[in-house]
Amino acid sequence: MNYHIVTLGCQMNKSDSERVANVIEEMGFTWTDNEEEANLLGVLACSVRQKSIDKVYSKINKWNKLKNRQHLITFVSGCVLPADKDNFLKSFDLVFQMSDLPEFPDMIRQYGVVSPFSQQIQNTKQNVIPVQKKKFHPKPEIDLSQIKLNPIGISRQVTMVSRPEEKIKDFWHVQPAYQSKFEAFVPIQNGCDKFCTFCAVPYTRGREISRPSEEILDEIKTLINKDYKSITLLGQNVNSYGLDKKGNEIRFPELLKQIGEFGKASGKDFWVYFTSPHPRDMSDDVLKVISQYDCLAKQIHLPIQSGDDKVLIKMNRKHTLEDYRKIIHSIRKILPSATIFTDIIVGFTGESDEQFENTRKAMEEFKFNMAYIAKYSPRPGAASSRWTDEIPNPIKTERLHILTGELVKHTLVYNQNLVDKTLKVLVTGQDRKEGYLSAISEGRIVLRFESENTDLIGKFVRVKIHSATHYSLEGALAKEKVVENVES
Amino acid sequence: MKAKDIAKKNQVGKNSILKEKSIVSLDSLSLTMDTVYKIHSVRNLTDTTYILRFDRNNMQFEAGQHITLGVQGDNQTREYSIYSTEKDPFLEVLIKEVDHGMVSKRLKKLSKGDVLNVDGPFGFFTIGSFPAPGKKYLFIATGTGIAPFHSIAGSHNSLDYRILHGVRYSEEAYEKEFFPNNRYILCTSRDSTGDFTGRVTDYVRKNPVDSDTLVYLCGNCDMIYEVYDVLISQGLRSDKIRTEVYF
Repeated sequence: MNYHIVTLGCQMNKSDSERVANVIEEMGFTWTDNEEEANLLGVLACSVRQKSIDKVYSKINKWNKLKNRQHLITFVSGCVLPADKDNFLKSFDLVFQMSDLPEFPDMIRQYGVVSPFSQQIQNTKQNVIPVQKKKFHPKPEIDLSQIKLNPIGISRQVTMVSRPEEKIKDFWHVQPAYQSKFEAFVPIQNGCDKFCTFCAVPYTRGREISRPSEEILDEIKTLINKDYKSITLLGQNVNSYGLDKKGNEIRFPELLKQIGEFGKASGKDFWVYFTSPHPRDMSDDVLKVISQYDCLAKQIHLPIQSGDDKVLIKMNRKHTLEDYRKIIHSIRKILPSATIFTDIIVGFTGESDEQFENTRKAMEEFKFNMAYIAKYSPRPGAASSRWTDEIPNPIKTERLHILTGELVKHTLVYNQNLVDKTLKVLVTGQDRKEGYLSAISEGRIVLRFESENTDLIGKFVRVKIHSATHYSLEGALAKEKVVENVES
Repeated sequence: MKAKDIAKKNQVGKNSILKEKSIVSLDSLSLTMDTVYKIHSVRNLTDTTYILRFDRNNMQFEAGQHITLGVQGDNQTREYSIYSTEKDPFLEVLIKEVDHGMVSKRLKKLSKGDVLNVDGPFGFFTIGSFPAPGKKYLFIATGTGIAPFHSIAGSHNSLDYRILHGVRYSEEAYEKEFFPNNRYILCTSRDSTGDFTGRVTDYVRKNPVDSDTLVYLCGNCDMIYEVYDVLISQGLRSDKIRTEVYF
């Protein structure tokens, strides 16, 4: 039996999908690229933009037509607003919160589906899940084979863990099926307490809950021992890590320090990134720790969203342009080689020409290496959706183009300064250009170099840069043994 | 997991292995143990404004923070600043009924013993987030934006503050007797029964703010923008201004 998952949205969803995939595979399903061959089709939804929600509806409409000719269950999870959830229930067979993932096999069985996994349970006649017992934490009193035999309506036997903290802990115990053999995402928290007015995450993922640091460190150590080269710590506000535990958990700088110490002791070569931090919680302590360890990558993704104080007030960002400026100065001082990425929204409700101009000036001042610029679109559920979205789309598009123009002025200069330098890079795959491999620098600048040696994929090499464009570099393999990074 | 989330639908095709079309009931799958917040009282202040008092359940919060609130069993919630003080054994929120509002109207219909969906506390609009011992504070609110200042003033007895409350009519000066007379200034824009006739913006223009003052603004975004501009024009630095936008 086959499954297929469509993952929309951010890296957090991609990370979640790795855990979903593992749970499904443990049930006996096999991945297929072809939706029409699947018996289990799911989508991990994103609620950041309406466009993403529209994609979910587009998928389910297509999938429901497939039901006329194949055995099929559909499900949706991920970032789903309460209002959307009600609508999805009309189209999908299963709708569940990501924190309920450990119960997903139970849901499938209660649905009355004979899967390889449920047959296995019936054959064993045991009252516990024989596979992934530790990961799924089934209640020992539940006779899953009985549930399977009485698919619907006897589900009182299932006792769900009730508190969000407990549920998300169980979710984190689920082993992910990493999609890459050298790059991995490691969630360190779930949810958000910041309530930015444009964002629905507090309503889709709930409040901030930090994952126990022991688990994070264990997962990282496992990955490093398997020679993973790039690890990204994920969370909606990674640098507020631990604050929800009120003294009973280490804070983000200490977490980074412990990762750094492990990296140093391991003798392994790898880079650790994190995304996204919130300016309000960004401290010099974080930057100083990064400066002390080679394995903590010198790349900071710090969303600014707007360069205008009044727009920031309306966005409920809880920082001013001056606050942001101080952080950038600290980064430049403490981590002079670091690249800086950001997120920006243009055309936020009520954004005037003057306010937009302040954002453009901020881009000019901060000289970002990358900016993910989005046109504002209101999402039902987010607070800003109650305000009129009065900026016409052509103006939003124009502002996006202006900021993109501002961005590439600086990226080109930065990238051209790397010409003739030799960079340590991680080879990520074959490039679209035949005979070339793609790679990424420590600062996450993409590049390519001529080589057909696919054995290099997933390894660090040195590349001498000979040309630069706005967004990428091109170079030649210096030699396959890696040496000191000279990106700055 | 909510059982209705695993509801089965009737669009299953004729060859589907899915035979059942029933919906699993919510209660059968999810036995929640979350804290129960029961309503103590609904206190009407005007035709459209009321105070909900309900269980605190030992929730630890800082005055100025907010919670999310909804009717139990309903998936819609809204954020409301906590109106009660850190010392009170209960929680209170001040709510203005919104035309076509999905939550405020439903909350108003609740009565003693009904259960609320509560989460929090959240937010940084507190004195502790920006400690400034010995400093003067100016709190400026419009309408129900008075709520966090009610909590702050009642929780920090020694605070050197004044509060400007902007409303249309003096009956919207919700429980103003809570504040000492020498600290509370009522600005009424549609009648002349307040301490000042006009909007809070007018008051601030006529009474420039000392540059050492920490100013907290809470209310609708238009008011916050206008007062912000006036304060900046009077020489106040932006880091002296804290805001909480109501929407």
